[in-house]
Order: sequence, then structure tokens, then C-alpha cells
Amino acid sequence: MDIQLVHRPGNSAAKLTLDAGESVTAEAGAMIAMSADVGITTTTHKRGSGSFTKTVKRLFAGESLFLNHFESRRAGSEVWLGTPLPGDMTTMTLQRESLIVQGGSFVACENGVEVGVGWQGFRTLLSGESLFWVKLQGTGKVLLNSFGAIYEQPVDGELIVDTGHIVAFNETLQFTLTKAGGSWLHSILGGEGLVCKFRGKGTVWCQSNNQRSFGAALTPTLRARSR
Amino acid sequence: MSAQFNVVLSGTIADGHDLNSVVSSLAARFKIEVARATALLKGQPSVVKKGVDRATAEQLCAAIMQLGAQASVEPAQAATAVASVAAASNPQPQPEAAAVTSASRDVAAKTLTPDPRGLKFSIQGQPDYAFLTVQIPANQTLKVEASAMATMDTNLAMKTRLRGGLGRFMTGESIFINEFTAQGGPGEIGIAPGAPGDLRHVYLDDQTIYLQNSAYVASTSGVAVESKWQGLVKGFFSGESLFLIRCQGQGDLWFSSYGGIIEIDVSGEYVVDTGNIVAFTDGLSYNVTKVGGYKSLFFSGEGFVCRFSGQGRVWIQTRKVGPLVSWVWPFRPSKK
Repeated sequence: MDIQLVHRPGNSAAKLTLDAGESVTAEAGAMIAMSADVGITTTTHKRGSGSFTKTVKRLFAGESLFLNHFESRRAGSEVWLGTPLPGDMTTMTLQRESLIVQGGSFVACENGVEVGVGWQGFRTLLSGESLFWVKLQGTGKVLLNSFGAIYEQPVDGELIVDTGHIVAFNETLQFTLTKAGGSWLHSILGGEGLVCKFRGKGTVWCQSNNQRSFGAALTPTLRARSR
Repeated sequence: MSAQFNVVLSGTIADGHDLNSVVSSLAARFKIEVARATALLKGQPSVVKKGVDRATAEQLCAAIMQLGAQASVEPAQAATAVASVAAASNPQPQPEAAAVTSASRDVAAKTLTPDPRGLKFSIQGQPDYAFLTVQIPANQTLKVEASAMATMDTNLAMKTRLRGGLGRFMTGESIFINEFTAQGGPGEIGIAPGAPGDLRHVYLDDQTIYLQNSAYVASTSGVAVESKWQGLVKGFFSGESLFLIRCQGQGDLWFSSYGGIIEIDVSGEYVVDTGNIVAFTDGLSYNVTKVGGYKSLFFSGEGFVCRFSGQGRVWIQTRKVGPLVSWVWPFRPSKK
């Protein structure tokens, strides 16, 4: 599978070129166009590895309940994938490793990658971000999206990242949720709230914008909910 | 679909740029010597990248334009690969030996100072915030989508006309198209489309292009703009409007998108999500169908798609407004 990104970083879309018989699993609703002879099937799980609990977990992760599988019948067929919000896309290749992806940032992966959901416990609940992270495991290419531009932050030792800015990170990294400032009061007043403290060696992919902040900026201009 | 494209540097720089600074930024950006960069900008077209696919070529082209140099994307085998609208407006056949180069140069010229028969214009801020500036010659008229005018010279007179018939009224699109006439001398108009996104220009030569109902930006007076009933079934299931805008005739046409624009040359069949269609040429017919089986229809998140068939070009946008709106929804304040 060949992945090509266009119109980065604001209006990015990905063009996947598939070989005969190759298939790719994508987040429901991500397809914007494709060759007419690409087969599409919709399931609640990755082929051959499904379980109901996994599906429900993924739903909580802010991902869709369903996954689409695109299967190419000839060499060179194309699938174009987009993202719901303005933002960037990035690809990476996994080599028998796992990547933890923020709920909502997963777009697509090759057949050799397993899409699972990692339960991160109640400490994640407190962060106000999604409860779940999607865990991508195996070998193959993966495609992620972000809100705003994506940038890499290598970690060797320790790094603190605001929870709203995390797109993905290597599973080799340990993380703890903590407060940004010296005291809880300062952390909350400073608008940073909870942050993730990563420890170890690996990479964290960050997004330039925070959905929650942008949404909050829009709130005063929106019409109130009825009732 | 695997057509190859070249990136051609026209050798000239964009208006408002300083030659020296363009040379140095070009040299820095592409890690070439200043002397070579200077040679590239001597006014002669030169191919700077050969045989890449369209997206790569366009990306490079955009990068070059950003630095202030003029560049264009053209098919690698100009003689055979020129399809669709741009090609159809090619002039008469050239002497054989020069055919390939002159044809490709022709395409290049068209993207820069569009068609010699058309108006002079420039598009800035692509692909995120495209903005159009058109030079209207004396006593000529430009049709512009209502409320899209951002700036204009004082000698431009505006007239509001009901265009496109009742259909446009029902599309929810404004039924008014403003006509700007340059009185007593040429004038310049700046046009900003409603949504942040991309913009494209096409010179119609007795051809027809269909636009999604909010894509229309501007056209010259030789282009007839009208609503076209899609049929209840097609319109209803597409989830979009029941009408398309049909533009036909002779002249310039500009249209815009929400998100970036991707051009796809279709020969045979191609599937596009109904919400991502911006425009398509007349040679294509389409059907609204479900994608995959019934399970996919309800749960794939794709719903109905448009299946194009025939020969022609489709312009698609990378974003849809719907998902943004549903994302904003939870952020509404709650009433006390």
C-alpha cells in the first residue's frame, strides 16, 4: 500500500494506492472517493479478531462503532480518505510494535495491524479527554489525523504534554497524569488542568490545536440548547 | 489514473515579488546554487520535476508559487494525456515536431495567465484560504455570487440580477448573482468565497460543467448559469441539494470548495462520497448508489455515494461541512 498526503496541513487528505488483493481498514465515514471496483465491507471489528467488548470500547473511545474494509481487486486501485475536522494527517510504519492513539485520531491501517482499545483506567477519565485510547499493534502502515498540524516530540527521559494535544505515542513510553503547576489550584486556574507526563524513550506525536479550546471559544456564539 | 505529470517553472515571478528575493528563497528551499536559481528565472519555461503523479506535482507547484515564482502542473505526455476541459480548448494542431512542447507550454500558460481568451486573474492563499482577484477590462461584465465581493475598484458598477431561475431559490443558495461592470476603464475585483477552502478556474469553450450548489463563485458573461433539477431520487438520496448548477457556454468560470480540491480524471468509473463533490464535466453521468452491501449502507458512515461513469473530470473537496457542524453541536451553551 502506498500512502500519499495532499493539502497538508490544513485540508489534508490521503490517497491510498492498493495492490491487487490488498486490503485496508478505515474509520467509518473517512472515505471521500475511490476507484469503482474497490470492494467495501463494514464490520464492528477488525476481520478475524472481533469481540463485542472491543467494539463497545472503541465506541467509548470516540471512534465509530464500525470499521470499513476496503479490498482491492486489481493493482493500482485508489481510495481517498479525509478527516472530519480541519487538520493534518501523518503516516507511520509499525514493526511488530504498538502505538497508542488518542480516540478520534485513528484513520486507517494495513491488514497486519490490529485495532484494539486500551483501557487506561479512571485516571484518564479525570483528564476530560476520552476515556479510551485506540491501540494499534502489529506490522504495517497506519494513518492518523489531528486537529491542527502534527509535530513529533522525541522523548528521552521525561516530557510533559497537555492531554488535549496528544495524537499518539509509542507504547514504550510510560505515562502518568499529573498537574501542570506546583499546586492543583494553579494548574486549574492556569487553564492547563491535567497534563500527561511521559517517561522513557520513544516519540509523542502532538497536534498544534486543542479541540476543547476551540470548541469553548465557539460556545458564546452558538445558540443555546433548548430545554 | 496513473497519469504522469511534470512541474514546469515558467521562468517569471509573481506580481509583487522581488526577483532577487525569489531567487534566494528558491535556492534555499530546493538547496540549489544561486546561479542555477537565477537561470531558472530568466523568463524561459523549464521542467523542474518529471514524471510524478498529480498530487506530488501539485504540491511542488504550490511550494514554488509560495516562494513567488510562477509554476504549473502539466501532463507528462501532453499530446495524449491532456484530457477534459483544458485540453478541449487547445488551439489547432501544431507542426508535428513542435507538437509536444508547444502543447505542454500551452497548458502551462493556461494555468498561469489562464486562457488568452479569458480574463486575467490570480488566486492567492491556496488551498486553505483561496482568494480570487480578477481584472475586468473596460465595459465588460463579471457575474459574481451574491455577497462574495470583498474589494473592488470604484469604477465598477454593481447590478443585482435574478439568475438561475426559481431553482436556485430552492437550493437554499442565494438566487441573486451580482453583475460587476467596469465603466470607463478596466477595474479590479477581489472575490472571497464563503467557506475557507480552495478555488479553481476553468475556461469553458462551448462546454458544460455541473457544480454542487454552493460551489459557484464567478463567471464571465458568456457563461450561462442555471439550476438543473437532479431528479427527486438522485437529489434526495445524495443528501445534498435537489439541484445542481449548470454552467455552459464560452468564458471563464471559477468555483470554490470547503477544504482542498482534488482533481480526478475519470475514464471508466469512479466513486465519490456525495458530500465531497464540487464539480464535474459534462461527459460524465452519475448514479447515486449505496456503497457495498446493506450493512455498509447503514453503518459505514458513507451512506450513499455517487458513482460516476464515462470520460471526464471530477473535482472533489477534502472536507464536508456536516462533520464540522456535528462536532460543534455539543459545545452549545445550555439555557438556564
